[in-house]
Amino acid sequence: MFKLMGSLVIILGCGLLGMLVARNYSLRPADLRSLQTALQMLETEINYAATPLAEALRSLAARCEKRVRPLFEYVLAELRDTPGCTAHEAWERALKRFYPQTALLKSDLVILSNLGKVLGTSDRQDQTRHLRLAIEQTGAEITRAQNEAARHVKLWNYLGFLGGLVIVLLLS
Amino acid sequence: MPKVRPLTKSALSGQPEESPAGSRQVLRAPKAAPWREILPVLPPVLKEIILNLPAEVLEQLEEIRLRQGKPLIIGLPGEDRLVAPNGTLAKDGTLAYLTTADDIQRAVQLVSGCSLYAFEEELKNGYITLPGGHRVGLAGKAVVEKGRVKTLKFISGLNIRISREVNNIAEPLLPYLLDRQARSVCHTLIFSPPRCGKTTLLRDLVRQISNGIPGLNFPGLTVGLVDERSELAGCCRGVPQRDVGIRTDVLDGCPKAEGMIMLLRSMAPQVIATDEIGSREDVAALEEVFNAGVKVIVTVHGSSLAELAARPSLNYLFNLKVIERYVLLGRSRGIGTVEEIIDGKTMKPLKKGLA
Repeated sequence: MFKLMGSLVIILGCGLLGMLVARNYSLRPADLRSLQTALQMLETEINYAATPLAEALRSLAARCEKRVRPLFEYVLAELRDTPGCTAHEAWERALKRFYPQTALLKSDLVILSNLGKVLGTSDRQDQTRHLRLAIEQTGAEITRAQNEAARHVKLWNYLGFLGGLVIVLLLS
Repeated sequence: MPKVRPLTKSALSGQPEESPAGSRQVLRAPKAAPWREILPVLPPVLKEIILNLPAEVLEQLEEIRLRQGKPLIIGLPGEDRLVAPNGTLAKDGTLAYLTTADDIQRAVQLVSGCSLYAFEEELKNGYITLPGGHRVGLAGKAVVEKGRVKTLKFISGLNIRISREVNNIAEPLLPYLLDRQARSVCHTLIFSPPRCGKTTLLRDLVRQISNGIPGLNFPGLTVGLVDERSELAGCCRGVPQRDVGIRTDVLDGCPKAEGMIMLLRSMAPQVIATDEIGSREDVAALEEVFNAGVKVIVTVHGSSLAELAARPSLNYLFNLKVIERYVLLGRSRGIGTVEEIIDGKTMKPLKKGLA
């Protein structure tokens, strides 16, 4: 009896672990897409309306996907609370706080970090160029993330349970 | 009582200002010292140095000049001084704080609220107006397209000019400029060398004329103010930060000639005021304003009438013989000393050396 329950716990545990890994794989394309949409909104704000950054970020935070919202809220908070802080610093610090809450990879972070370096420091044309680049790069990452998700989600969903099963079989 | 909204971090970042509970209707906070309003645009390092300056120096502070790799210089009335890293006035360049590239970059970011792209027009003109009406002049590499300056890049020098509201400096002048029978003002041209308080005087004149002067039994007039360089009203997002009176309409950042005509057509002003006229278009627009029967108050750069008359456009204006009062400002007894008021008809001084 105990043996049976123990085996069940192991199988379920490993299965859940596998599903967790799989979830991360499937979340990344979604996060990237929300980010891309947000960056597109930012581009519109900057290019067509020349909205000051703080205001643009505020409207972004209000309109964008829930999971990427913290990024913009953090930047705003940094800008507001640290006197003499530049957009780059605020962006960098916000990214550091935001990153652990997402399914993003280091390579995605680099895109955002590069964007932060120029945010608000040049004319409209240049800002648009950098934003477009970031949007494009995000697009490439989305395709890659989708491919990876297609392969890994199923794999990890099964792998967890099967792994658990193997352990149980080995133990018995 | 001068009323200026202090420049806060939130104002810079475009954040709605938080007022203490229950006082939401109070739009203008009590005035802080003018030099305090520019602190938020200073990088932390420089802010500390400036805050360490002696109090009497701070009270007189006119400008702060940042030049990349050069000593930090502050402008005081009639002189400039180098500043040492500990906030004392340095005797020579070797002791002074050298402004770094990082200081400049930070200052530019802070001045623009981290949104340089939102200041294209301002960069073309070479300056940005801060909330509170202070101006930051910028120098760097100009990007030229089709023979016109498109923008500035590699900004390497900033001049943060602290603007002070000096109320009632127009008081002694008013009796000479008002036409009390007609309940109107004279066509007035104020001229002086740079930095003698033309703009300040014009602002106060506008304020008094617009508010009306009970002491002289003078009712307020509707004033149209064309503020091409955002200096007179110090508009921030179209709202005057300086007190320019209750009957004043401000066209902010508008080219003077065009602005005068626009105001003439749209706002039915009784007086049109503008700063630093000079071009042919300005004079042509002025002529139209004269013809519409609207009074004019303008300022011009120049140290004497003869010097002004040497400029073709102004010579034309003088030959129209419409200007009724010429006012010369100087610094003989401090900034804004009225040196001479000349009657436009007789070209004789009405009064010399008015305090």
